[in-house]
Amino acid sequence: MSPSSAAPLFLAFALLAGGAVAQDAAEEETTFCLGCHGEPDFTTVPENGDTVRLTVDGKAIAASVHGQGLKCTDCHPGMGDVPHPERHVKNAAEFHAGFRDACKTCHFDKYALSVDGVHAKQLAKGNEAAPGCLDCHGAHDVAAASTPRTRISDTCAGCHPDVADTYLKSVHGKAMAEGNPDVPVCIDCHRAHDISDPRVTSWIVKTPELCARCHTDKAKMARYGLSTNVVQSYLSDFHGVTAKTSRALRSDATGESRVTALCIDCHGVHDITTTDAANSPVLRANLVKTCRKCHPEASETFPDAWLSHYEPSWSRAPMVYAVKVFYVIFIPFIIGGLVLQVLLHLWRVVVNR
Amino acid sequence: MSATFVRFSLRQRVEHALVMSLFIILAATGFPQKFSDAGWARGMLALMGGVEAARWLHRFAGLAFALLALVHIATAVALVTTGRSRPSMIPSRKDFADAIQTLRYYLGASDRQAKFDRFDYRQKFEYWGLLMGGLLMVATGLILYVPLVVTRFLPGVMIPVAKVAHSNEGLMAFLVVITWHIYNAHLNPDVFPFDFAIFTGKISRHRMESEHPLELDRLIGGAAPPRKDPENDA
Repeated sequence: MSPSSAAPLFLAFALLAGGAVAQDAAEEETTFCLGCHGEPDFTTVPENGDTVRLTVDGKAIAASVHGQGLKCTDCHPGMGDVPHPERHVKNAAEFHAGFRDACKTCHFDKYALSVDGVHAKQLAKGNEAAPGCLDCHGAHDVAAASTPRTRISDTCAGCHPDVADTYLKSVHGKAMAEGNPDVPVCIDCHRAHDISDPRVTSWIVKTPELCARCHTDKAKMARYGLSTNVVQSYLSDFHGVTAKTSRALRSDATGESRVTALCIDCHGVHDITTTDAANSPVLRANLVKTCRKCHPEASETFPDAWLSHYEPSWSRAPMVYAVKVFYVIFIPFIIGGLVLQVLLHLWRVVVNR
Repeated sequence: MSATFVRFSLRQRVEHALVMSLFIILAATGFPQKFSDAGWARGMLALMGGVEAARWLHRFAGLAFALLALVHIATAVALVTTGRSRPSMIPSRKDFADAIQTLRYYLGASDRQAKFDRFDYRQKFEYWGLLMGGLLMVATGLILYVPLVVTRFLPGVMIPVAKVAHSNEGLMAFLVVITWHIYNAHLNPDVFPFDFAIFTGKISRHRMESEHPLELDRLIGGAAPPRKDPENDA
């Protein structure tokens, strides 16, 4: 074997050995820390007299996604020395807050997104209940956040139980519980890290775009026999034109003044059902009630003004279609006739000269 | 003998100026709504302060247009029924004969031009097209303005029917104006570049002779040429 061909082999061996050394070091450190933190009822007491549990489940760490390779001090820098440097914290909340940003060392992209999120803004306003990384992902038992997918809505349900409950009864929620990979879970609409306040106008008016992400996907909709024309038919009608072109859209104001009607105003949000469900707000029998949310004076026949996302045809809205067909013939006939007469006149003028 | 004749009364000139201005406003506020996906439409809507502003402008101009149409019809009917004006816009059998004769002349099948009275068949066609189309636009526009009131009396499907009719009729009116009217009032070699008659109210003797010989005959026929009172013309 020549020296030149031996070099890569040697390098590979060195890297493997290095990795093994790092892993060994991590395990060694973990074992060392668990010497104290593995004890049940290992606690500390901040200034206000709270009890803060310091016990860590070694098995949970080993089973977590960080179990192989990360050392305790990667997330708890400065705690390598025993006894630990003394910390002066007022209460349990402040104690935990000290570890809140530990994840950004490695996951800076996600951290940067979360800074714009509604949870970080709540925290900045002083709402101590607002979640940071650990509240959703767990700490020592951190696992892949979206495996299985049901785990995502379970996580959100921890703080938002009412909304989660409504969602689970919806057409999307039921399918999700059955393991359907097509339906949206919380973060598909709300996003995971840069979650917007869902009450601000600038976010609400994006709902047609949100719904369109799946409801214009031909392959996905074909699996359920759903039309992909629903978004375009909405956008070309009165309410859709408003949604596309209103000036009032871009404000961050909350409240009742936002533009209507968007997808969610007729179909609902977390409680969305199939359109033929008995309690569907867009079922013809229930539609007038839905219209009356904004138009209290709407008559029983008013909902027929809306063609239910259908394009007019001989079988659907034949009167509308007939008028359409009439103009398709009539406009070229009239304009063509007039242009022909203009051309004939010009020709005669030329001939006369 | 005067070198010019008075063709349009002040009332008629004001009516034309108003219908022209309203037509431009209605088209400028209506088409960006019809073609709301186009870039130019978005730009125009933004310029007007959003679609809500465009809608209010459109409705305001539409109501003014409706009022103008009503006043015009009422005045015309009153003037004709009281005998103060000739019903010169009413189509007659002669108009059809004139149309055929004109086509024959254009095609070279005849060397004789049709002789027209006060309004030729093309002007009558445009007048009645504008009036009928305008009334259809007013009716469908009102339905779209107050759909909640309309559906108390009419089936809900009348709203999309009115919308399709309003949108297409508007498009046709616009196309007629930019082809037919612009040609007749501007590009036609006989009047190029600008037929001022509807703004000044005056028309030359030369044009009277070539374009409205029958009217000219009636005006100057007989020994003393009687001045027609243009104020009393519908």
